[in-house]
Amino acid sequence: MMKKGLIVAVLISLLFVPQLFAQASAEKADTTLSIGIRTLTNPYQANYKVGADMYGKIKDLPVVTLTCEGSSEKQLNDVRALVARTNGNVVFMIDPNESPNVIPLARELEAAKVYWVSWWNKPDDIKVWDYKYWVSHISFDGISAGEYTAEKLFESFGYNGKIVALQGLLSNSIAQDRFEGLQNVLKKYPNVELVAYEAADWDRTMAYEKTRNLLVAHPDIKGIWAANDNMALGALEALRAVGKAGQILVTGTDGTDEIYEAIKKGEAAATVYNDSVYQSGIGLAIALAAKEGKIKVENLPREHRQYFAEATNVDINNVDEIIAGSATYDFEDLFGAFTRPMD
Amino acid sequence: MDRKRVDVLSLVETYRARFSKTSAGKLYGKIPISGQIVALVIVSLIFSFGTKGQFLKISNIVTIMGLAGIPMILCLGVHQVIIMGAMDLSLEGIVAITAVFSGLLLKNSVNTNDVGLWIIPFVIVLGGIAGMINGLLNTKLRMPSFIATLGMSWTLFGTAIMISRGSSIPIRDLRFQKVIIANIFGIPVVFVLAIAIGIITYFLQKRTKLGKHMYAIGGNEVLAKQAGVNVNRIKILVFTITGVIYGIAGLLLVARLNSSAARYGNNLLFPAMTAVAVGGVSLSGGVGGALNAMMGTIIVVALNNGLVLMQVNPYMQSAVNGVVLICAVALTIDRKKIGLIK
Repeated sequence: MMKKGLIVAVLISLLFVPQLFAQASAEKADTTLSIGIRTLTNPYQANYKVGADMYGKIKDLPVVTLTCEGSSEKQLNDVRALVARTNGNVVFMIDPNESPNVIPLARELEAAKVYWVSWWNKPDDIKVWDYKYWVSHISFDGISAGEYTAEKLFESFGYNGKIVALQGLLSNSIAQDRFEGLQNVLKKYPNVELVAYEAADWDRTMAYEKTRNLLVAHPDIKGIWAANDNMALGALEALRAVGKAGQILVTGTDGTDEIYEAIKKGEAAATVYNDSVYQSGIGLAIALAAKEGKIKVENLPREHRQYFAEATNVDINNVDEIIAGSATYDFEDLFGAFTRPMD
Repeated sequence: MDRKRVDVLSLVETYRARFSKTSAGKLYGKIPISGQIVALVIVSLIFSFGTKGQFLKISNIVTIMGLAGIPMILCLGVHQVIIMGAMDLSLEGIVAITAVFSGLLLKNSVNTNDVGLWIIPFVIVLGGIAGMINGLLNTKLRMPSFIATLGMSWTLFGTAIMISRGSSIPIRDLRFQKVIIANIFGIPVVFVLAIAIGIITYFLQKRTKLGKHMYAIGGNEVLAKQAGVNVNRIKILVFTITGVIYGIAGLLLVARLNSSAARYGNNLLFPAMTAVAVGGVSLSGGVGGALNAMMGTIIVVALNNGLVLMQVNPYMQSAVNGVVLICAVALTIDRKKIGLIK
């Protein structure tokens, strides 16, 4: 009997253990800022936490990071648990693990009256404006990224000459968006001619091979536009193999350390950095503004409910700042990065 | 309908018989890769017209040689296993693991390692061990080589991803890249290296007992065993050599891009297999050799080069590639030597 009682007592006390280890900050009466992300082991995802902590510091509010490690189920359960723990005094920035996962998240948070903002993935037929507490859904704009890098590439050779382009997987919508951006800029400058483009499937080896072949066909090109950094770096090594690295510049998109190095050496003209520090900071800022009544969700124009945003443009002028992570962020201008609405 | 088809085939046979009696025909029969040479000439002619001669310019030929180096080495690896009538799909995995280790052991921007030239014996041993495991799985565990090597490929690729955390590792030891992109007397070093490996493989196949036994196993494994060939030992040995060759290719790939990542090995298996088939190495074993693998690779690389030079729309390239491939194989495989078409 004694023994059984003891076991029960231990079991009951065990129930309190998680509370002891829970992130203490969540217990204040302040609104909790929370981000729902995938993991902390990859640098892109880990920077979400940096942004959230940064915004938490500015607002002097507690921050809770929920990582789902690739499980949509866990993401939903963690969000649900935090809502319960904070009695709904919380706002979220969520990068949904999978696009269909936004549906249960939206229902859950709608029922709990918790404001939130999502990034990247959402089924097209799910509209943010059908919900009162889902403030915005944002994605970085492939078209504006393609436009910016094209613009910088053309600038590098004085807007007069031939270029070639390396496309991503032809069936990817982001590949098509970025390429569309390039074509928009090509229309602006009649003296720049796209003499050939090849699909290199986002792959560095394939980009290397295609570029070597393209350089035979078009030895007089002045720039290589690539739809991502990986292909840009493959193209750069192909240029190096024929002794033209630094004479013909490349551009990419994504913002990887290797392309920054190439930008510093004057071998790449530009890239576009999908800055997750900004993503989580601005996501939390928008959700918090809604919670504090600074913006009225029902009065927000539809184009601010789901939209494409401009990512961080990187060239020689700000590359050091980006590498050092010392970029300054304006989280007050809630919709400052807006480029175009998402239908 | 059926009669007509038989007639066409027998007609072809009559012409072939008549042709093989002429002096040109005798020469054609003597050279083991004459079919491939004819295929390459046809491909070259088409592209020369298509690109107004650009295809045959020295600069382009040098480019093709430079690009053919690494695929040729890979093809020289995989074709040996295929000659034995087995299959090796572990190429991408072994390349991935050697690439990632090369990146992490050479002077790089992630850690403080700097093994310098010791990386060369290292990748040889690493590739060899991986290849040996393929052989052991195939012979000792009696697993079909197709599935054993596929499993190895995934395991090694996954390990490579894990070790590198999925990101790329820039390399700071510039010596390797300098060597690999250089030319000797106008010929790319990587191509010379591939040819050297090709010559070694050729002599291995033609002049050694190992080579004879390889073909014996490929021709008929049961008969080979009855004739006293130690089938298991030969198989393990060949898988190991193949692994060594993949390891070297992995290092070369890293040197070329001056950066290393697990996924640099992706998309390499298919071109190697294509080169094997186009080169006339029978997938059922026992037929073809190093020369076929080398010619096959040159045809495949020249084809990809020509498609870019001719500005074939990227949306169409895969399809064109497929059609040309079927034509090339139809033209080049030696139906007399292959008993069974599987």
